Amino acid sequence: MEIEGFNFPEGLYYEKNHFWGRVEDDLIVMGMNDYAQLMSGEIVYIGLPPLGKKLKQGKNFTKMESGKWLGKVYAVVSGELVEVNEELEENAKLINDDPFGKGWMFKIKPDNLDELDNLMTDPDEIGEWIRGEIVEHGVAS
Amino acid sequence: MNNMHKFIDIVGEDNFSDKIEDLIPYSYDASINVYRPDALIWPETKEQISQIVTIANKKGVPIIPRGAGTSLSGGVIAIEGGIVIDVSKMNKIIEIKIEDRYATVQPGVICDDLNKELSKYKFIFPPDPASSSVSTIGGNVATNAGGIKGAKYGTTRDYVLGLEVVIPTGEIMHTGAHTMKCVSGYDLPKLFTGSEGTLGVITEVTLKINPVPLHAMTAMATFDRLEDAGHAISETMTGSNLIPSVMEILDKVTLKSIRENTSLELPECEAMLLTETDGYTWQEVEAQMMVILEIFKKNNPLTIKTAKEEKERMELWEARKGAYATLSRISTGVLDDVTVPISKFTDLLVGVQEISKKRGLVIGTYGHAGDGNLHPQILYDTYDPEQVKKMEMVESDLFHLAVSLNGTLTGEHGIGLSKADYMGLEHDSVEMEVMKKIKKALDPNNIMNPGKMALHF
Amino acid sequence: MSEPLELSKKYQHMVTQCSRCGFCRMVCPIFDITKNWATNAGGKMVLIKEIIDEKTKPSEGIAKSLLNCTTCMNCTINCPSGVDPPEVIRAARKDMVNLGYDNMFKAMSDVIAKTGNLYGEEEKPDWGHKHEKAPYVLFVGCVGTYRERESVEKTIKLLDILGVKFTMIDEVCCSGVLEDVGYQARKELARHNINEFHRTGAKTLITTCPYCYRTFKNHPFYKDLNLELKHITQFLAEYDFKVKTDKKVTYHDPCDLGRHEGIYEEPRQIIRKIAPNFVEPERTRENAMCCGAGGGVRGSFPKESITIARNRLRKIIEETGAEILLTECPSCLHNFRNAKLRRWNIEIYNITEFIAILYKEMDVRETVAA
Repeated sequence: MEIEGFNFPEGLYYEKNHFWGRVEDDLIVMGMNDYAQLMSGEIVYIGLPPLGKKLKQGKNFTKMESGKWLGKVYAVVSGELVEVNEELEENAKLINDDPFGKGWMFKIKPDNLDELDNLMTDPDEIGEWIRGEIVEHGVAS
Repeated sequence: MNNMHKFIDIVGEDNFSDKIEDLIPYSYDASINVYRPDALIWPETKEQISQIVTIANKKGVPIIPRGAGTSLSGGVIAIEGGIVIDVSKMNKIIEIKIEDRYATVQPGVICDDLNKELSKYKFIFPPDPASSSVSTIGGNVATNAGGIKGAKYGTTRDYVLGLEVVIPTGEIMHTGAHTMKCVSGYDLPKLFTGSEGTLGVITEVTLKINPVPLHAMTAMATFDRLEDAGHAISETMTGSNLIPSVMEILDKVTLKSIRENTSLELPECEAMLLTETDGYTWQEVEAQMMVILEIFKKNNPLTIKTAKEEKERMELWEARKGAYATLSRISTGVLDDVTVPISKFTDLLVGVQEISKKRGLVIGTYGHAGDGNLHPQILYDTYDPEQVKKMEMVESDLFHLAVSLNGTLTGEHGIGLSKADYMGLEHDSVEMEVMKKIKKALDPNNIMNPGKMALHF
Repeated sequence: MSEPLELSKKYQHMVTQCSRCGFCRMVCPIFDITKNWATNAGGKMVLIKEIIDEKTKPSEGIAKSLLNCTTCMNCTINCPSGVDPPEVIRAARKDMVNLGYDNMFKAMSDVIAKTGNLYGEEEKPDWGHKHEKAPYVLFVGCVGTYRERESVEKTIKLLDILGVKFTMIDEVCCSGVLEDVGYQARKELARHNINEFHRTGAKTLITTCPYCYRTFKNHPFYKDLNLELKHITQFLAEYDFKVKTDKKVTYHDPCDLGRHEGIYEEPRQIIRKIAPNFVEPERTRENAMCCGAGGGVRGSFPKESITIARNRLRKIIEETGAEILLTECPSCLHNFRNAKLRRWNIEIYNITEFIAILYKEMDVRETVAA
């Protein structure tokens, strides 16, 4: 679905640090959303931590950088990091080009799927939040 | 240019440019010719080049193959506009086959890089032009590059066994062999070598390689008369029963420039000779050098010095290879490479000095004395129209002198644009016609580096 | 308004001296990845000459092209014709700005003025170590503070372990980088730093960042510094360390420390004391290949900047087989860490950071043993 001109595919879980989660078999795939990729500019680096790292929902566990900006990456659910998107190592721009597809970042083995209830799925809720973000930060990259 | 999108489709956006900030540098090489191309392409495969040339041929768009762009004669200058094909990204060494004594490379491989790889096997591709640290094998083949080892080891043409070329109509041609000798069909590798990019775009080169001599020794001698240096050279090259691996000359002007701009302490003199002997045993190397030193001694040298240590030898060669650029600290210049029969070398040296006096321009002279190839570097102020005129007169004098001594306009830099007007001095109309026929047969639409070598049709 | 190209015109003789011999092609980090002669020193000299000779008008594209140079000086030291391309390029960048071709660094200049650092970060770090007076004052700079904080923390820890009596100040950006990208350093920031330095009564200023070192040493805004100035490697060169490693260690000379300031020996003095198994990369000392971060390139061409670092790292690994790569520059460190591929088993540290880690490991061993 489109919200305020940005792509927010249905069936995904969104959170206020601008990351998204998607259920894929028994794992949660996460990445960054369309608004954030535009605001950050071309991503040139994302830290890919070693597999097995323990993550906590809402806690930052790695960093990403664009030319002008260093950002924290937050886990959308608690669990174990089981896969990283190795394509991002030499082509972090995939995050900008295809934030919900080829630009996926990490796969997490979740501790507790109930945590998904803490995330947003309702288009109205997402819309209100994004409008607030746009007011505060604008839409220029 | 309306076909550009077709070319972008072939190589991708990143390998194409028609931006002015890119076109301007590509309007230049190391000569004084300046013409702006319409576009630049960096192909990564021979197939891409084939597709590009096929379209260019149909549309009448000039194609200018370019390696490192260090041409001293305007060989890569787009005098009729068109597209420069920069092969620098095609820089893989495809194969080194020691047991068959050859190496196959893409045209963008740097000469020194090839030799760095070959040295691991104790082999070498002997031609080493002064630009060897930056020039490409493609460029070396296109100009039949010579170099410091030419006296004994010849030039690039002596080592080209086979070529793959995209010919002007777009097809990919393979020619030559992987054998040490071959007389099957016309010797096309020899024709394409030195053809200055006017007969096609070279996409692969198979080169004969030599084992590296185990030992080498360098000597340096100074003279206060050009004639003495000249006699020392010709006696060594044809009167000693041996051929040194190197015989180079540097004149007073060049030496002064090197002395003032590097840490090397080169002596004051009229001329300095640098020579090298190489061989399998030290005895042989030293024995040969003794012979040469005896010849030097007979010709009134000021000083003689030998260098056996690697570091000392390398310093001398580095200074020699940097001579062209070092001289440009004094002033901009035009570098020529007139070549005469060995016995006429002294006459050439003296003649160049006379021209310099007559026209009132400083000429730094150095070069491959061992094969009669002099590099007079004419220094002048490019901003002063008077000096520009004088420079042109000096060039004319030099070419006339060389031809009058039974020599040639160019030993290794090529005709390009810089010497095209003088082709008639050296080549009669019969020969020019044959060359034009060949050019026309292969390149009926005259798209392949047009305007060079006076091959208009 | 000043005459356009006033700075570039000073270099007319130098750009004319360029003989287009192409020797710069083999040492240029930008050319290494683009293979485009226009991005190489010689290509830029030709471009600038045409502008000075008024054969070509400046343009947005030309101004941008001139930003694509790390000012590493590899070309300068290898140029047989005596040209110093970074010097000319720096002047041309200023002329471009004067002609109205502002670039992204204008925004950076405003950000530095507003927040006191390169990145516009509001948060100021608390390193502790704020003493009233001390003989030494330590300055760490923006890149270390905001991009490699852990490394800076370890360097500070090392100084503590060695018992160095130093204090730190409320830092603002040295702002020297603005001079490289067409703008000017900020006098008020220099004034602030100098006042802070003087307040500490310190006799010696130690800095961890080679670029800040260059700025403090050479920029007229810091002529009232009146302190002995040392890069941290110069300061620690004579110290003895109680730690060693037998791992294979190599060293990357930062351009700002090496070619620009001639500091090659002191880092090696330190490394040899703690890592007897030390190997040099093939391209080292004056010939070290740039990491790609300098001259504003990490800001203006960040992706290419990291690719350059990756290539340098790959070569170092291939040539030396080292387990540890050391350097002493926050920008080189950051670029290498961004560039390192996961499958490469090399660890990358600043020298001082690494020594602090060795001390910690020694502590742990001694605690366990006890």
